[in-house]
Amino acid sequence: MLTTTHPAPAAGPRPATTPAPAAVASGVVKTYGHGTTEVRALDGVDLTISAGQLTAVMGPSGSGKSTLMHAMAGLDAVDAGSIRLGGTELTDLSEKQRTLLRRERLGFVFQSFNLVPSLTAAENIALPLRLAGRTPDGLWLEELVTTLGLQDRLTHRPSELSGGQQQRVAVARALVTRPEIVFADEPTGNLDSRHGQALLAFLQRAARELGQTVVMVTHDPTAASYADRVVFLADGRAANDLTDPTVPTVLATMAGLEQPASRAEA
Amino acid sequence: MWHLTLRNVMAHRGRFALTLLAVVLAVTFVSGSLMLTDTSARLLEDQFTTAAAGVDLTVRDAATFDQAMGVEVDRDPLPAHVIERVRGLEGVADVRPVADGQGLLEVDGEAVVPTGASMLSSYSPEPFGAFAIREGRAPVAEGEVVLDLATAGQTGVEVGDRVDVLTESRTELQVVGLAGFGDGDGIPGATVTLVSLAEAQKMLDLGDGVSELLVTTTRDRTVEEVIAAVRGDLGDDYAVTSAQDAADAGAAAAQEQLGSLDMVLTAMSAAALVVGALLIANTFAIVTSQRRREIALVRAAGATAGQVTRAVLAEALLIGALGAVLGTGLGILAADGLRVLASGFGMELPQGRATVTGSTVAVSIAVGMLVTVVAAVGAARRAAHVAPVEALRSSVDLVDGAAPSRRHRVARALPLALGVTGVAAVVAGAPALLLVPAALATVVGVALQGPALTPVLARAVGAPLARSGVPGQLARQSAARAPRRTTSTAMALALGLALIAFMTVVATSLKDGLSGSYRETVTADLVVESSRAEMLGGLSPQAAERVADLSQVQGVSRVQYGHWIDGEQTNALAAIDPETLPMVADLDLLAGSLDALTGGGVVVADSVAEERDLQVGDVVTMTFSLTGDQDLEIVGVLDSLDAQALSTSWLVSLETYARHFTEDVDAAVMVRAADGIPVEQAQAAVREALADHPTADVRDQATAAAARGATVQQVLGLVTVLLVLTVLIAMLGITNSLALSVAERTREIGLLRAVGTSRRQVRSMIQSEAVIVAALAGLLGLALGTGMGAVTVTALARTAPLAITLPAGQLAAVALVALGAGVVAGLAPARRAARMDVLEAIATH
Repeated sequence: MLTTTHPAPAAGPRPATTPAPAAVASGVVKTYGHGTTEVRALDGVDLTISAGQLTAVMGPSGSGKSTLMHAMAGLDAVDAGSIRLGGTELTDLSEKQRTLLRRERLGFVFQSFNLVPSLTAAENIALPLRLAGRTPDGLWLEELVTTLGLQDRLTHRPSELSGGQQQRVAVARALVTRPEIVFADEPTGNLDSRHGQALLAFLQRAARELGQTVVMVTHDPTAASYADRVVFLADGRAANDLTDPTVPTVLATMAGLEQPASRAEA
Repeated sequence: MWHLTLRNVMAHRGRFALTLLAVVLAVTFVSGSLMLTDTSARLLEDQFTTAAAGVDLTVRDAATFDQAMGVEVDRDPLPAHVIERVRGLEGVADVRPVADGQGLLEVDGEAVVPTGASMLSSYSPEPFGAFAIREGRAPVAEGEVVLDLATAGQTGVEVGDRVDVLTESRTELQVVGLAGFGDGDGIPGATVTLVSLAEAQKMLDLGDGVSELLVTTTRDRTVEEVIAAVRGDLGDDYAVTSAQDAADAGAAAAQEQLGSLDMVLTAMSAAALVVGALLIANTFAIVTSQRRREIALVRAAGATAGQVTRAVLAEALLIGALGAVLGTGLGILAADGLRVLASGFGMELPQGRATVTGSTVAVSIAVGMLVTVVAAVGAARRAAHVAPVEALRSSVDLVDGAAPSRRHRVARALPLALGVTGVAAVVAGAPALLLVPAALATVVGVALQGPALTPVLARAVGAPLARSGVPGQLARQSAARAPRRTTSTAMALALGLALIAFMTVVATSLKDGLSGSYRETVTADLVVESSRAEMLGGLSPQAAERVADLSQVQGVSRVQYGHWIDGEQTNALAAIDPETLPMVADLDLLAGSLDALTGGGVVVADSVAEERDLQVGDVVTMTFSLTGDQDLEIVGVLDSLDAQALSTSWLVSLETYARHFTEDVDAAVMVRAADGIPVEQAQAAVREALADHPTADVRDQATAAAARGATVQQVLGLVTVLLVLTVLIAMLGITNSLALSVAERTREIGLLRAVGTSRRQVRSMIQSEAVIVAALAGLLGLALGTGMGAVTVTALARTAPLAITLPAGQLAAVALVALGAGVVAGLAPARRAARMDVLEAIATH
């Protein structure tokens, strides 16, 4: 439905057929603290995000999945390694350049508190464009709103929306700039399973039908099963990789990860 | 719970820091004002007590009253024979005759004009006088003078120099010594010239008369006995007073002149306290709402609602006590600051070590604590209503109070309705005093309606900012989102600005009214007035004679002022010459005639005649210091506007004045230039003729008219500067609530930053919000202040000829001050928001 009414932008660096990388992280190291309290959150992560795919990042608590997402999304600086987004080396950018990059080339969906309380749904959706001083593309906006079923809620403020509606508004905002990558951090974490699955189905369609690259951090195997590919992190490194995952394969891979991890600690 | 309270205050030091500062500032103002008043009172008392230290009683000419409006009345001199008569009485040890008056000091041809008196007195050695010779010797022969050390120091005069002293005549004197006053070097604000008794009598034209007798008593009699004996011998024509009573009366008179300043300071302290209280209330409301979960948790753990209330009040008590103690300490500095400020606006106060009385300390601390605790009561009650179950809820939505019930809404609308009704009633003709409660009700009413008004107003004033981009829009939304908080933050500033606007409108209207009626009534080409702020004027009658003799002048008319007792109250009157006045003033008599004044009657203003139902032919009783109760016949009724131009509602002739007053100084000499002589030329001639009268100001009619209401202008200036302090406190309030709001909106700001809002945009957002709140305050403040000012003038205009003047420039300045306050208040919170770390912000739960 999306593809029929709105083809992917021709100039976008996202060829629909050949899976070229949208982002490449190599040898990324991030440590917190010093000396005895030092924690290596990322310990030389290598990861390639293919364009036009929904990639899930999984791993146990403390595996570094959130840190990796923050680093790749330009929210946090890293200590070593390289992160390339399209043709841009993120680690070379200043704070201000990273802010502009987030505004123009990335989209975000967080677990909760995705919306500015004082703005209506429509204003929240248009926020990144307005910040950049651009006017929203009317057709594209209308299509996003229709597809996400938000037509009736546009003038409502976040406090007047259900949790599912709030997350859908967040997704619309993330997509409105046609970003190179949408980063979603546990987007269904606060939703019941029905609303959660509807949101995941939409993210999946955005990737498959629209060629939208989506990176989703999750600890929920069901959520991960909607992805084209699952990357597993453990102890700050990429530990495993699964294409076309299902809930059982995800669960099995996770079970396999936790044992060596605990053995290594012992 | 005390333990928890203490912990809590310590844990949230930052949140309470500005609240503490507000308490400190308000209390500093209060204690500074009190200390300044105490200090001035003590210094004046010391001064008069020192002067009378070695004397037991004084004998002066009798007067019906000692002082009026802070001016000691002049008394007739005592004849020489009284000296010997008193000396011969039993119980009298010694008698020292004194001649004193005014004598302007001139050093090297330059007049030395002090802020206070130019004292000229005969020198009395100790124990009679408080002046002790510190250098040189006492004046004994004619042509010798002793100056006070302070004046000598300031003017560079040394023993052996020659100076001039101007009385009715000019006397050249040689300085033979320098004296101190008590422990000090002189009398603050005054120049002192001491000469021999004979010289003083000559200079003051007393013949062999004296001003007063200083008497000491023998040891075998009490002072009271001797007073009774002297009184018995001299009769009612002389006033015999104990030296202590005379000193007290003198101090009281000086104190009364400071009365208006006291009132200004008290009113301004109250304003600072109210604004401070609003800030405190606001902070506590915000902090409590931010701690709802914590409070719920404590409640869930078993704390009673009462315990929670008491904990919040205890926090307030703690902050109030700390702030009050600090503020009281700073009051000592503030007292000096206020004195400098007052003198900058022409109100001279005696200078000296600050007096800190127990009552000042107690009042300041009590007021500080009370205001803080009372301001926190609302927040404490709301805290008690937090349900334990809230601890379990995950949402941390911004709580700005639930929508009020219908009954509540009606109750909230009541004050505004009452206030507006009251104001309308005053406009329609109700007594002006009704305006005070009506204005209060209106202010409270607007504050209560804030939650309804603010969203609309905030959107309106934020419109220009919103057009500038997303940060402006976000700021506007944010201000409108928490209307109660925005209102109470803005209200504090609005109150300060409203007071400034009110004072400006009323004072400007008064001033314009005064100079307007003067311009219309006084047609003189030139007006000679004293440049010193003396209540009765203070021009020597000689000045009028000199001017009248000039060929460039066609004629002059003198005006003198005097005080009299009108039943219980002190009143003023003007003495004029009915023959010459019409030449220089256009007086409109509604009944009777000005000429009839020559018969000894009185002319009253129309407003007074109406108020008291007086007509030509009626008789009024006026009490004069010199002659006591006198019945005067009303011979005319003067148009009120014309009476206002002459500053009084009662007119007598100069002859009548001379009969009832010892004083003989002119307040004004109005001059008509000779035909064909340009005003400038006449002015130059008059100036030259008055070269010997350095305090005489020669003004043309327009300048003289503009100088009317100079006092009003001075008071307005002082009040405005003092009100700026309340604006400062209110500004802290904006900073405080924004800082708290930034802390509260950490996640929102983090989100904005994550989706691409730059630091600059975040800063501009918070800064804009501060400006919106301030603009809102400016709007409310100007509307309330100007409105109330206009209504006040309307009410006053019923009894005095006044018109509303809206000083656009000054009111625009108030609006600019508001915006400036917003900009400054927003700086710190905006910077803090911009510096916020994105990751930490989005990770905060």
